Order: sequence, then C-alpha cells, then structure tokens
Amino acid sequence: MKKFFKKTHRMFKLHRIFIKQDLKRLMEYKVDFLTGAVGMLLTQAINLFFLSIIFSQIPDLKGYTFEKIIFIYGFSLLPKAIDHLFFDNLWSIGYFIIRKGDFDKYLTRPVSTLFAVTVEKFQVDAFGELVVGIAFLCVSIPNVNLDVSFLNILLFIVSVFFATFIFTGVKLITSSIAFWTKQSGNITYMFYMVNDFAKYPTTIYNRALSFIITFIIPFAFTAFFPASYFLGNGNALFNIGGTAMMAVILMAVGIFVWNKGVSSYESAGS
Amino acid sequence: MIYVENLRKEFKKVVKEPGLKGSIKSFFKPKNEIITAVDDISFHVPKGEIMGFIGPNGAGKSTVIKMLTGILTPTSGKCEIGGQIPYKNRKNYVKEIGVVFGQRTQLWWDLALRETYTVLKEIYEVDNEQYKKRMAFLNEVLELDDFITSPVRTLSLGQRMRADIAASLLHSPKVLFLDEPTIGLDVVVKDNIRGAIKAINAEEQTTVILTTHDLQDVENLCDRIVMIDKGSKVFDGAIDELKSRYGQSRELRFIPADFKTAEKLDYKREFNLTDDDILVENDGHIISVKFNSDTVSVEKMLSYTLSVTHVNDINVGDADIEEIIKDIYKSGVNPSA
Ligand SMILES: Nc1ncnc2c1ncn2[C@@H]1O[C@H](COP(=O)(O)OP(=O)(O)OP(=O)(O)O)[C@@H](O)[C@H]1O
Ligand SMILES: [Mg+2]
Repeated sequence: MKKFFKKTHRMFKLHRIFIKQDLKRLMEYKVDFLTGAVGMLLTQAINLFFLSIIFSQIPDLKGYTFEKIIFIYGFSLLPKAIDHLFFDNLWSIGYFIIRKGDFDKYLTRPVSTLFAVTVEKFQVDAFGELVVGIAFLCVSIPNVNLDVSFLNILLFIVSVFFATFIFTGVKLITSSIAFWTKQSGNITYMFYMVNDFAKYPTTIYNRALSFIITFIIPFAFTAFFPASYFLGNGNALFNIGGTAMMAVILMAVGIFVWNKGVSSYESAGS
Repeated sequence: MIYVENLRKEFKKVVKEPGLKGSIKSFFKPKNEIITAVDDISFHVPKGEIMGFIGPNGAGKSTVIKMLTGILTPTSGKCEIGGQIPYKNRKNYVKEIGVVFGQRTQLWWDLALRETYTVLKEIYEVDNEQYKKRMAFLNEVLELDDFITSPVRTLSLGQRMRADIAASLLHSPKVLFLDEPTIGLDVVVKDNIRGAIKAINAEEQTTVILTTHDLQDVENLCDRIVMIDKGSKVFDGAIDELKSRYGQSRELRFIPADFKTAEKLDYKREFNLTDDDILVENDGHIISVKFNSDTVSVEKMLSYTLSVTHVNDINVGDADIEEIIKDIYKSGVNPSA
C-alpha cells in the first residue's frame, strides 16, 4: 500500500514537470496557440450554426430539442478534451515514433512504456475543447430540465472519467498496430472520426450505424448515452454502466495489444 | 558480468520491385526476405572491463547492443547481464544499466537540461543526497555547467552527447552501453568523454561496452575488443593480440640526402617480393615504404636502405591499428585464423 502511494506520488511529480514545461511552451509560442484556439472555436461555431439552422426548420429531433442537443454536444467535448490533454502522444506513436525507431528510448527506462510515452506530452490545445464544452453545458443546463442532485453530479464525473478512457482505448488499440505495420496514424484517424456521430442521438441513424457506434466502436457511450441519462432518458445501468464497461474493455484490450506490440517492436536501422 | 551465447537476430524485410507497379504488387502480395543481422554471436565480458565492439558499417553492432539493452528481443540464443535477462522483467533490468546512442538523443527535446535530470531522478528513484553528489561529479567530468539551463533542442552535438552520457550515468548503473558515443565530435570533446568513461570505470568498476568507428577510442579505452563482420564474430581479444596476429605491417619513412641515389633502391628485387608485400610511396620529400615484418625483418630493411643511400632522417613506424583494421574490413577475415 505504502509502495503504491509512493509510486502514485512519483507519477504525479513527473506529470507536474511535463505539464509545467508544456505551459511554458504555450507562453513561448503564443501565436501558434492562439491560432489553434481560434481555429477550433470557428469549427465549433460553424457546427453550432448548422445545428441552429436545422432546428429552425424542425421543432425537435426525435424528441430532442435544440437545447438538449447542445447539452449532449457539450458533454461530448469533455472526455474528448481530457483524453486529448493527457494521451495525445499516442497519435505520434502511430504516425512516426515507431517508424523512426524513436520508441527505443522508452524501453530503456524503468517505468511502463505506456506511462513514459503519455506523460511527456500535455496537449494544451485541448483547453479550447474543454472551455467550449463547459460553455455549451452551462448554456444548455438551465433549459433542459436537469435534476442537479449530489448523485447526479457524482455520476456525471464518473461518466466523464470512463468516457475519456473510451477515447484513450480506441487510440491505444489502433496506435499499437504500428508495432507491426510501422505506421498506423491514419487507421487511428479513421476510427477516431467516428466519434463525430456520437454527439447526436443514435436514434437518428439507421440500424447498422447505430449498432456500430454502440457496440463496435462504442463512441455513443462517450456522449449520447451518458448525456441522455442526465436528460432523463434511459437507465443508469445501461447508459452509465455501459460507459464504464466499454472503457474497461477497450483499455484492457488496448493494454494487451500494446504489450504484445512492444515485444515485437523492431526498432529502426540507424 | 555479461554472457552472450549464440545470439541471433533476424529481420523480416519486404522486398519491393522498383517503381509504382512494384509497390502495388508488394502491397497485395508482399514478398518477405529474411536478413540475418546478428548471426550466432557469443562472448563474455567480466565485471569492470571496457570492451570495444567494432566492425564495419552494417556489421550488426547496434543490433547486438539493442538486444543487450532490452530494446529488441533476440530471434534465438541467450544473453544474460548481471544475472538478468534483458527482455524479461525489463523494468527491473534497466535500472542496472545505462544506455547511450550517439546517433539520437534519449532526452526530452523541449525540457531544459536541468529539468531533464530531475525527471530522471524521479524515474530512477535516486534519493536527494545521492543525486546531489552524482550531479556534482558528472558536472566535473563532463562540464555540463555551461548549458545546464538550456533546452535540449538548443544544444550542440558535443554538448548533447555529454548531456546524454551524464543522463545514462545518473543512477550509477553497473553496466554502460555506448553506441558510437564519439560520433561527430571534435578532439577536445572526444577527450573529455573518454576521460569520463575512464573515470567512471575506475571509480565504480562499471562494465562498459562501446561501439565506435574511431580507433583512438579503442586504443585509449579498451582492454579488449570484439570485432564482428556481417553478423559474425571475427576477432575477440586484446589489441596487442590483434596487432600481433594480423599486423606485422610496418612503415619505414626516410628523407634521403639525395633523391638520385635513393631511386636505385629496389626492395622487390633485393628481397624477392611481390606487389602485395610492399608499397613504396615517394612524395618528393619523404619516401614511405610499407612492408610486413614477417616477410622482411626491420633490421634487413634498414641496413639495405642505408647501404644504398644516405639519409637526413629515418624512422620505422609501429604497427598501425588503423591500417590493420582497414585491411580486415576490406578483405574479410577467417574467423578461425
Ligand atoms: N530495424 C531494422 N529492420 C530491418 N533491418 C535492420 C534493422 N536494424 C538493422 N537492420 C539491418 O541489420 C544489419 C545490421 O545493422 P546494425 O545497425 O546493427 O549495424 P551496425 O554494425 O551498428 O552498423 P553501423 O556501424 O553503420 O552503425 C544491417 O544490414 C541493417 O540493414
Ligand atoms: Mg550502429
């Protein structure tokens, strides 16, 4: 137990050092950061604009009002942003770290490779998503008849936590493919993009697509299912328990594939 | 300390025919070819030894180092370092070793060097007391002070190499693996790094395996060399042994008092030699004669030369390790020789 605390303490200490340095870098490259932030805000604004156009034509979408959609949309940005903040380096694994043989250095350190890879990058760009997500939630909550009880706040935190690991798990599995194929960034990208569907009720999609985002690439559990529970639809066991279960399954598979991948890692020539 | 037995590493390589058509073909029907980078190598390094691991480009040195450091899993064979097997229980094993790849840094690109060492201190669980002492020592031998506050990305190659070596030594490893630690460095920095390796080896009996293409490193540092070529071991022993086994090559250099008479020198006829046995070069100032002291003794060479011409200066150079190794790399060698 004492050893566990010491280990956790050490992990936080390392996180702190790298977070500090990424924040420092943010200060150094203000222009780059601001450009990124503005670009992201524009994207979200355009999405919002189109949503409002759609809803100006129809009163609701299969029982979901504009405000409810904004709530789900805002919810979807939180786990995405947190995953982005802490596990962004997995993208680099699939795009170049393995191909260029740069994975060598993680193997000579006495910490888990997954920890070593993810700790060294704190993606400050994700603050934008976090801010927009929280803003959407704040705007929509007064208009959606939400039961703000202690239990619901707790469940909210729990579901954001597990939803984060659905993102991480998908990235982990697809990035690990690079251990065999040298490069898998585009595979990760393809799977990751499916999360765009998760911001809207699965009921608006046809059966096949709705099945895929519920059970195969279960991004529906990162936003629609947990968020609609708070909106008074569905039950905690499926909507939130499902989120937790999907996260655990994906992470377990991810860690397994990752470890298999590490032992077949081939490095690079020079 | 280090036992390596029949270590082997094969890489699968997709053979691709040239051009777009070839690419498409290999995409649908990949043809694999197996290349053997390391071909059943065995050696043993006792504790406290500095072993020079040499061989021409592509011989398999880095691949062996990567297997010994737990980066690659061997195809077959065994390696055991300090009682541990690198690719099993990796986290435990790497606490005991230090690794430097001269070709690429293992440090964090954007982190200031000082912070880099704080991170490593946490990773290796070095306690405060020990850390202070260690940093002071490393600072002294590697002169890190000038650039300790700079981010790693701004360091020059020589500074970065010193930073990397210091990083590999922070946790007082029992074994140090250095893959080309002097590549691309100026003479002063090379000297500095050699000094550090020597100091650490003397002070802590650190076992060192080092690959290099700079034979000064080998002559300066290594108790012993293992030479490999095309994945196989071709020599294993002390440098003197290499010299006496492969190289009786000597170089006689002299400045003749008078070039007219010097031209009368005909070593080939005098000693009955072929073109392979002797090489005479005359740059109009110094005459150089390369020969093998097995075929003609140094004494005979000297007395014949002096009997024909007067000289202003004369000397006979020692066996030159560089020449020997060049010969071996070029012509290959019979491992059982
Ligand atoms: N990751 C890899 N995948 C495929 N082939 C590889 C890989 N790494 C090395 N090789 C091949 O294995 C052989 C040995 O390479 P290695 O890098 O071990 O040589 P080396 O002795 O370190 O050479 P150098 O002195 O040039 O650094 C080469 O033929 C190389 O092409
Ligand atoms: Mg090499």
